[in-house]
Amino acid sequence: MMGTRKLLKYGVAGLLTAGLVASWLAGVTHANEPGVIEFTQAEINRILSHGPWPMKWAPDASNRVSANGHAIDLGERLFFDEKLSVKENVSCGTCHIAEYNWTDGVKRNKGQAMVDRNTPTLMNMRHHRWFALDGAADSLWSQSMRPIVDPRELASNATHVAQYVRKDADLSCRYEKTFGVNPAKQDDESVLVGVGKVMAAFQETLLTDLTPFDAFRDALARGDHNAASLYPRDARRGLKIFVGKGQCSTCHTGPMFTNGEFHDIGVPHFIDGDSKKVDGGRHDGIKKLMASKFNLLGPYNDDATRASATKTTHLKPEHRNFGEFKVPSLRNVGYTGPYMHNGEMLSLNDVVRHYSELNVDRLHSDGEGILKPLKLTQRESADLVAFLQTLNMDRAPPWRGKEYAHPPCVINMPAAAGDAHYAP
Amino acid sequence: MKTTLLTILFGVFSAVSTVWACTPDLPAVQGKKAQTIDSKKYALAYRTQPEPVVIGQHFVVELALCAKDGAAAPESVRVDAFMPEHRHGMNYKTKVTSSGAGKYRAEGLMFHMPGRWEYIFEVRAAGTTERMTTSVVLQ
Repeated sequence: MMGTRKLLKYGVAGLLTAGLVASWLAGVTHANEPGVIEFTQAEINRILSHGPWPMKWAPDASNRVSANGHAIDLGERLFFDEKLSVKENVSCGTCHIAEYNWTDGVKRNKGQAMVDRNTPTLMNMRHHRWFALDGAADSLWSQSMRPIVDPRELASNATHVAQYVRKDADLSCRYEKTFGVNPAKQDDESVLVGVGKVMAAFQETLLTDLTPFDAFRDALARGDHNAASLYPRDARRGLKIFVGKGQCSTCHTGPMFTNGEFHDIGVPHFIDGDSKKVDGGRHDGIKKLMASKFNLLGPYNDDATRASATKTTHLKPEHRNFGEFKVPSLRNVGYTGPYMHNGEMLSLNDVVRHYSELNVDRLHSDGEGILKPLKLTQRESADLVAFLQTLNMDRAPPWRGKEYAHPPCVINMPAAAGDAHYAP
Repeated sequence: MKTTLLTILFGVFSAVSTVWACTPDLPAVQGKKAQTIDSKKYALAYRTQPEPVVIGQHFVVELALCAKDGAAAPESVRVDAFMPEHRHGMNYKTKVTSSGAGKYRAEGLMFHMPGRWEYIFEVRAAGTTERMTTSVVLQ
């Protein structure tokens, strides 16, 4: 077999990009190894638990227009519609930008005013249990309503939203096609809920693709050591830390790389460093959730069985919730920076350094007991970042056109094949 | 003669033992027996739905309880779970309902992390609480 040095001597490497060389060499170097020798069986089991991808999904029972084609179409239109805001200057798409992996690439963004937290990505949102960084919403549709009425974001209200949807003939038509009732026959609050539900239907379609990690994980699952050996060596070392001594996968669990719950990891709670402005995180999120008439225990949950409300019914506030924030999914993590609830860390290197040098004095005394400084070497830190980058899908997040190809809405238009019909 | 004496002694011992013990009534499902825990006063059998528990999914615990001879009859049961190494429990509270005859159903549990979880069963009777625990490890 031709060696690496010989290849370089003949100038082959000069024809390839640095990334391709690295990947190719990793494959050659390890092609004759028995595949996965550097992982213990327990580590392999943990690695396998992070797939397969994509995950199974069933439409949201609490939203009767979940997965409805008309709802998805209307939800997409409204998502980018600045006229939902009273000043007609901000839409959901202002901060959730497709080309930025449905976030915005900045520490914190501004609607009518600066918000307190980093913009979370909307990718794979349909697989989450709680919504927003503090979990103040228990459904995607109720979360979709919150920025509309938040004075710092769209600063709108039910009356403005309902009047706009009623007066716009095309939107009104699409609303009626979706729900089977004209918005003029519903009260303002019901129309606002309807808008939340169609926007949720649209966001449920935003999904990440397969990643280099998935290729490795699936190769392990089927015992294909040659295919597994193509996974870069530095990423393998980083993965071993992730599922091993780093214990990262204890909270970043499963195919989504999150347990969907909340933890305090020692990121400051003060907003803008002002000790009088404290972000209570999950503690405040639970209070908001339970006070909301739009939670799953309320009248707008379309699930007659109320099985979807189990999590809310059994939710247990704890003292340790103060300063806890939702564990983010790591899929496409390379595209979601800046990081942490307040966006204070600009790069994955900063995030790994945070865990490596964790200041335990900042943690709750009754918080997560396994959090300890990892004290990683420079190479280990680089390996962990290399692994995290393999959780990005191969292609960049798609550019999204602003023009709609759909014909104008006609209320008596025959339903297209596959269109679902839902009773109001 | 010697064998007969041993048989009699064994019979007496067995009879005395049955006085003190009790067997919680939770039949096997599809050939799989329920897990059992014993304390000084009570014997408890439990199983989960689904079995095994899936990380991040709500599950139910069905349990049967019986009081050993001399112990007060259970008045209520509380079910909880804790991760000793992590110093925290679940993020969800359970609701326990009794269906009579020493049988109970606990709803709302969720193990949101892999690792060792300790089930906690607290039996309340005659003004005292008997605490029974057992551990499971989720990979």
